Amino acid sequence: MRAETGSNSWSSRPFPSPRRPALRVVGVMLGLLGLASCAAPPPTDPDALAEYKEANDRYEKLNRKAFGITMWANKYTLRPVAKAYIWAVPRPLRNAFGGLYQTMNEPVVFFNDVGAGRPRRAGDAFVRWCINMTVGIGGLIDVANYAGYKHHDNDAGLTLATWGVPSGPYLFLPVLGPSSFRDGVGYGIDTGLSPWNYVPSGYGLVTFNWAYNIMGTINGMANNVDALDQVMKDSLDPYATIRSAYQQQRKAMAEAIKNDHRATVPDWYHTK
Amino acid sequence: MQRFIPRRHALALLAALATMPVASAWAVDAGAQARSFVTMFGSKLVGVVNSDISLEKKKQDILPLLEQYVDVDAIGRYCLGRYWRTATPDQQARYIKLFHQVLVNAITDKIGDYRGVTFVVGSSAPSGDDTAVSTVINRPGQPGADTQWIISTASGSPKVVDVVGEGASLRLTQRQDYGSFIARNGGNVDALLRALDKQIANHH
Repeated sequence: MRAETGSNSWSSRPFPSPRRPALRVVGVMLGLLGLASCAAPPPTDPDALAEYKEANDRYEKLNRKAFGITMWANKYTLRPVAKAYIWAVPRPLRNAFGGLYQTMNEPVVFFNDVGAGRPRRAGDAFVRWCINMTVGIGGLIDVANYAGYKHHDNDAGLTLATWGVPSGPYLFLPVLGPSSFRDGVGYGIDTGLSPWNYVPSGYGLVTFNWAYNIMGTINGMANNVDALDQVMKDSLDPYATIRSAYQQQRKAMAEAIKNDHRATVPDWYHTK
Repeated sequence: MQRFIPRRHALALLAALATMPVASAWAVDAGAQARSFVTMFGSKLVGVVNSDISLEKKKQDILPLLEQYVDVDAIGRYCLGRYWRTATPDQQARYIKLFHQVLVNAITDKIGDYRGVTFVVGSSAPSGDDTAVSTVINRPGQPGADTQWIISTASGSPKVVDVVGEGASLRLTQRQDYGSFIARNGGNVDALLRALDKQIANHH
């Protein structure tokens, strides 16, 4: 599950997921370990086997349960809140909140860009952080975007992918949403990479952290709620649709990072 | 986000083999041809979407464009995946008819969401036997959406056979939706046909 950073695309991150306390990360890790014992046997029919491999969903039974519970809970909790938020807060303001959240996640993007060996991307993330934290008033205004430094996503799941770590079986984590063994581990690493989790308590920072996480969650859901509604309405099997779209998008995102070979210095530096 | 090799049936493979000698010559300008096709088709779509006519009229105007420039039959066959081969000719015919309606509904439902759309055509690249053309679709106040159009000439003229939004192929996602639904209904294609029937009946 990825941190929602303001993108409007539903399928990569149908479920917004801000940074969360370390306790939840431990829960995710234990859950990953516990899963190893409950895989269903693969089918024997060649066509069915090809489909089974394509879905990459060894723990489908358990994942579907998690999906059912999450969607039920979402319907009665986060979704109505997000709908009310959309009704009450005009889009420009919502975009500004999204920018605030996105900017505060920029250090995680930066560390992962470095980890993936992509200095140009790391430089972009670093400059975005510097500009938006200052002139952009903490990210409320995306000044860096106007200066030519466009936002890009990165997380430890993708970094591991660029290192050649396979995704492992698909997972649908309760509340957090679609993921995989690799992305679940990446989520734990990202929590560790975020400097905000090392801020000492006191000075009202704990309150700030909670407000920030709750705001990020609601804002992320607001960005995706219509797309999610549409999937639930139009799909014959919404679980399979989300599984397919999530895995394709993660693959494409990892490919995009792998194929980004831009030079570290701008073009004009080379011209005489 | 998208890359997949479509499952070809034997006839398509034969056809591809038969045209191989001319394929290399064609490949040289296939990219340029696909880009100009996307530019032309995109301009027509955007022209309807951005116009001041009523939503109903827009939906009517978009239909002939879809019929002419989108290979709905090929997309439908792809989406049924392995069950296309096991379906009876009657099931196939009913399915294709329903699929046309489902696809048209899905597209026309979205027209109302778009206003002031612009798009920029980017580079093209081979995608299996087809050509992928990159575009960025811009809507006011929202981040640009990276969208790839997969263009096939298998029907004799360039036609859209897939759209890839933010990395996810629409036809592949649809195929996994249908495939999973049929598998969970005992491999029965009729279950899918009934579900599509119901989907169309409930559409308004």
